[in-house]
Amino acid sequence: MSTTTQMLKGLLEGSLLALIAKGETYGYEMTEKLQEHNFAVVSEGSIYPVLMRLQKNNFVTSILRKSPNGPKRKYYSITDEGLEELERFKEHWERLSMGVFSLLEEGEDGNDDVI
Amino acid sequence: MTMLSKEAEQFIIELRMYLLSKGKNEKEMDEIIVELEDHLVQAEAEGKSVKDITGDSPREYMKSIGEELGFDARQFIILAPMSVLLILAFLMFTPALWGDFKLSKIGLWGMGIATVLSFALYGFLFVKVLPRFFHSKGFYIITGLTYLIVFGIFIIVEFLDKNPFFIATPMQNNLIVIGCIIVFIIWAFYAKTWITILVPFFMSWGPIADRLIPAHMNENPFFITLAITLFVIITAAVMYFIYRSSKKKEM
Repeated sequence: MSTTTQMLKGLLEGSLLALIAKGETYGYEMTEKLQEHNFAVVSEGSIYPVLMRLQKNNFVTSILRKSPNGPKRKYYSITDEGLEELERFKEHWERLSMGVFSLLEEGEDGNDDVI
Repeated sequence: MTMLSKEAEQFIIELRMYLLSKGKNEKEMDEIIVELEDHLVQAEAEGKSVKDITGDSPREYMKSIGEELGFDARQFIILAPMSVLLILAFLMFTPALWGDFKLSKIGLWGMGIATVLSFALYGFLFVKVLPRFFHSKGFYIITGLTYLIVFGIFIIVEFLDKNPFFIATPMQNNLIVIGCIIVFIIWAFYAKTWITILVPFFMSWGPIADRLIPAHMNENPFFITLAITLFVIITAAVMYFIYRSSKKKEM
């Protein structure tokens, strides 16, 4: 459980950065977009601690503005440092996913051979 | 405009109390709470529940938020002495206004212990107990009982309080009253609340009446009953007014 959570956290960080890089957005919209992409988040709220960390690391900035609902809404946009971090994440992810993917493929082939 | 469900509201209160009790930075805290409220309003409008947002364990979720918030030492350092000042002001205000402020050894120790006790009791209550009862009758019953217990402790101390080593002159009494009023006003500005003005205001009714009304009227049972009735009615009216205005703010 905890390794999955840790892994998810790292992936969530990169995915949120990617979402924010596409244009200014806010928390609820981000969870909707994650769901559109079938991103398996543990719970909707789990994006907020991650967003807080992104902001602390200066990868994103935020601004409070009035929302149509009445209460204030926090809008996020990406910084230059955030864009750099996103590139790093993409590279990392490509290498990692390629490795895991080819490993799993090989396993399946192996199974096929046995049958 | 949309309103939060009871569960969502309760979760927000629990979260705020949890973060407050951990001495977290208030500005950061307000920000995440505004954000979560906004999220909850939209999620609930689409038929989702609080658990969809927090996951199975709201407590764990609160912890994960808390870990990202900074501990605010400065806020803590300011708040602690300010709270002590406020309590002292509350303790000294009425006796000074009655014109018989005095200090004794038992009084000092007793009041000190009673203050620490009530601090602990209220702290425990606000953080651990009350958030769970927020929307039930239990909330008022528990608050009322705690108030009675704390009040009782102070009465017992007052009763044991003999042999004062310091008795204030009328001039000193007035100075203490002014000092207390300054503390109340500073607190009202600092915490942006009317409570530290309203409560002393009601506390001062009796003593002020005692100073202004001639003695023969003061002992007449009719006037005593009248005064108590008036006091209760006005207090109830103000409570109702505060309750209503807080309801309005939520909408």
